[in-house]
Amino acid sequence: MIERKIATLEDPLTNLYRSAFPDCAKMIHRMGGTSEQAKDCFHDALLIFLEKQKAGTLRLQSSAKAYVLGTAKICWLRSLDRSTDLPLPEGFEPIEVGEPDQEEKESILLESLQRTGKKCLELLSAFYYENFSLQDIATRFGFNGRRSATVAKFKCLEKVRHNIKTSQVYAQ
Amino acid sequence: MRSELTEISLIDKYLNKQLDEEEKKTFEALLLVDEVLSTNVEAQRKAYRVIRLFARKKERTRLEGIYQRLLREPAFAQHLKTIFS
Repeated sequence: MIERKIATLEDPLTNLYRSAFPDCAKMIHRMGGTSEQAKDCFHDALLIFLEKQKAGTLRLQSSAKAYVLGTAKICWLRSLDRSTDLPLPEGFEPIEVGEPDQEEKESILLESLQRTGKKCLELLSAFYYENFSLQDIATRFGFNGRRSATVAKFKCLEKVRHNIKTSQVYAQ
Repeated sequence: MRSELTEISLIDKYLNKQLDEEEKKTFEALLLVDEVLSTNVEAQRKAYRVIRLFARKKERTRLEGIYQRLLREPAFAQHLKTIFS
């Protein structure tokens, strides 16, 4: 009884994880993968699921679990063969797109930004990634309304952009 | 807003496809002649990618946390063990 109460209080993502991951592990195991690989594919699939949910573009044909399992399978097949044309659900772009070189540059840049402007990154990702409204952002970050949140958002964007422009990483 | 922020806001609308056809045409014409603007557009495009990278890393950490928590549930851990043994 107590356990059931805990389960309903838990966030839906943990519930989805608990119910879908064993099936994902079985599937990846059947296709010759390890438990670590199963987890990687599962996390890629969950990330896609969450991003579509946040963007309001998630179209479930059956259940969330079926969606995540289907996506995990595609992620696994793609990881076996990089050249595959197998599209991700609804044409979703691969998780880490771009040249390896570009990804490395972005990671280096991110590290330096995290040291100097963590709060800005938090604010910008709340807006651009989590799709929170400006009102929510104002409340969450302690701004005096939408207008101040808007100005703060653009100032942060300016700061990140300035860092990129002056970064050695992108120097020609 | 100061003029730099107005420019950032305009680029923001352009890159996030929030300009109407007319505004977009005007902006793209400006891009062809204004080198500073075009440099700023590219830097801002990169900024969105870095923001996304930051957010995804955080999400992956959250997922890893859920996994570690679930592994402490005996039923879940046992189930996984039987799959890979």
